[in-house]
Amino acid sequence: MSEPKRLHPAGMIFNIIQAIRQSVFGFLPIVIIAVGNDAWFYVILGASILIGLIILFSVLSWFRYTYQLEEDQIRIEQGILIRKKRTISKHRIQSIDLSQNIIHRIFGLTKVQIETAGSDHRIDAALSAVTMADGKMLHDQLKYKQQAAVVDENEGPAQELNKEVPEKDYPQKKVTPKALIVAGSTSGSFGIILGLFGLAFSELETFIPDRFYNQATEWVFSQAVQVLIAFAIIVLILLWMLGVLQTLIQYWNFTITRYDKELFITRGLLEKKQSTIPLKRIQAVGIKETIIRQPLGLASVYVEIASGEIGQNQDMHTLIFPLMRKKHIPSFLKELLPEYRYQPEGMVKLPTKALPYYMVRTVLIPLIVTIVIAIQFFEFAWIPLIVTLLACIYGYFQFKTTGYLIQDQQLLVQTRTISKDTALVPHKRLQSLQKKQHILHRKQGLATLDTAILNKFVGRHFIVRELRVEDVDHIAEWYSYREKPL
Amino acid sequence: MREQPNERIATDAIKAWKLTAQLIAIIPLLLTIAAFVVAYFFDFLSYWLGIVLAVFTVLECTITILIIPKLRWRRWRYQIYEQEIYIQHGILIVTRTVVPMIRVQHVDTQQGPILKKYGLATLQISTAATTHEIPALLEAEAADLRDQISELARVEQDDV
Repeated sequence: MSEPKRLHPAGMIFNIIQAIRQSVFGFLPIVIIAVGNDAWFYVILGASILIGLIILFSVLSWFRYTYQLEEDQIRIEQGILIRKKRTISKHRIQSIDLSQNIIHRIFGLTKVQIETAGSDHRIDAALSAVTMADGKMLHDQLKYKQQAAVVDENEGPAQELNKEVPEKDYPQKKVTPKALIVAGSTSGSFGIILGLFGLAFSELETFIPDRFYNQATEWVFSQAVQVLIAFAIIVLILLWMLGVLQTLIQYWNFTITRYDKELFITRGLLEKKQSTIPLKRIQAVGIKETIIRQPLGLASVYVEIASGEIGQNQDMHTLIFPLMRKKHIPSFLKELLPEYRYQPEGMVKLPTKALPYYMVRTVLIPLIVTIVIAIQFFEFAWIPLIVTLLACIYGYFQFKTTGYLIQDQQLLVQTRTISKDTALVPHKRLQSLQKKQHILHRKQGLATLDTAILNKFVGRHFIVRELRVEDVDHIAEWYSYREKPL
Repeated sequence: MREQPNERIATDAIKAWKLTAQLIAIIPLLLTIAAFVVAYFFDFLSYWLGIVLAVFTVLECTITILIIPKLRWRRWRYQIYEQEIYIQHGILIVTRTVVPMIRVQHVDTQQGPILKKYGLATLQISTAATTHEIPALLEAEAADLRDQISELARVEQDDV
């Protein structure tokens, strides 16, 4: 139990791979210069010395890294020459997540990430490779806090009590492969893949011999337009399939379970990921409908969490369901997150007099560009004109989308940047509230609402522009903690 | 949010802001002088640039030194309640802010050399996600408020 343990030797592999990957970038310029000067021998010599050193250090650091489970804390010691000791108390641990990539799976291992509250990641710990059994053991030992169990000395260790976690039937939702395929096809991530593709190609271009390159371009330009279009379509379809594949790999078997005080998510095909979201840290629930998904009546559900996870996904927020029919969201929330509810009926929309503001905001810049281009090159004026028209439609839809709704202790705010985004925020998560008016607003009886919550970064502001003054005052009254109205 | 808050900030705030604006106004003034000097010694610059800069400087001085501080002071109001802080500021865009006491994470007072000259201090109120200021309060008042707010904010908080 309290014997210091080393990580599984496979942990060395991760260290070695990481170190080599980092040093490749550092030494690449030197290598290129050396190869340019035909100094092959020195390059190979240097590389082998470097790899030898990396392997030596990895072995040593693996040898000196131990972890040890104690009564109600975990103690980690690391460092080859400079010893670092870290102790994390059980009561400070927010979540313990086990994740596995391909190498882990081959050896039957898992990575254990221990996360504490607060934004100081140096207090967190990650054991890069332990056996699955050990990982599970750590998880169970550290996870379940002593639930008000005052243990007598003569009653044996406290762990015995906590082993008996009552087998309740917790609500659970799984994503179907079909839904994932739909999610992948509507994700629009092929744009990102296209970008990566282009980047990779521009890197590779330097390695392609000029003669071959010239021949290829000549061949391409000699083809008929129809062939080129067909070719482009095929490439797009391939990229789209890649996007679907990516979604499938990422969210395969996505399962979300609601325990008493936390949401628990497992997902991934090649790399199994677990994440635990303590309910206490959820600041808001959001529903996102991208342009492609909105007409199909589909949406993804996410949560905003205070302070991030350990360098995991750099996404803005954490998905709690990759894709579902919008009409199923209310029942989904009722089952898994009854603290939040989504009933958008009776949402308060913007007054008609707010429309000009939205139009001017979106149309102004494209309009100016159109005018300038029309003066300079009249025959090309149709291009920015189309952009201006699109901006018109965009502004109008922004205006149509925006709205709010107060339901007892919850504020619903619906806005649109490009995607439609609905946020459900409990009263106690709103950090402050502002009402902004300029002179025109005051004349027209409009006001802008600005309220903020905490999220992974510096906070997220919900800004609802040009509501009626009465509406903003109504929200302020609901928000205010004072007895008499503001 | 229908009524504006009723406490005003210190009258010396106008003086402090004026002094700040005067210090900033030195930059266009120097540029103007430089333009005239260059035009006098070298032929390739006409006096027009200097004249344009001079007009700009005069305008800038009138607006930032004579007009803005007064307006700004008139608009600035605050009120501290048992449960929340209510602030109003902004010349063109009037902003009214409500910060509940139980959301306040910490309170600081700040004082630069200019504010020190007039015995003033700025109060900064931070929540988990936002920061708000009440500028230019009398030192003693700022300290009192700081203590009062941190006292009130000491109410049992939720984990944010």
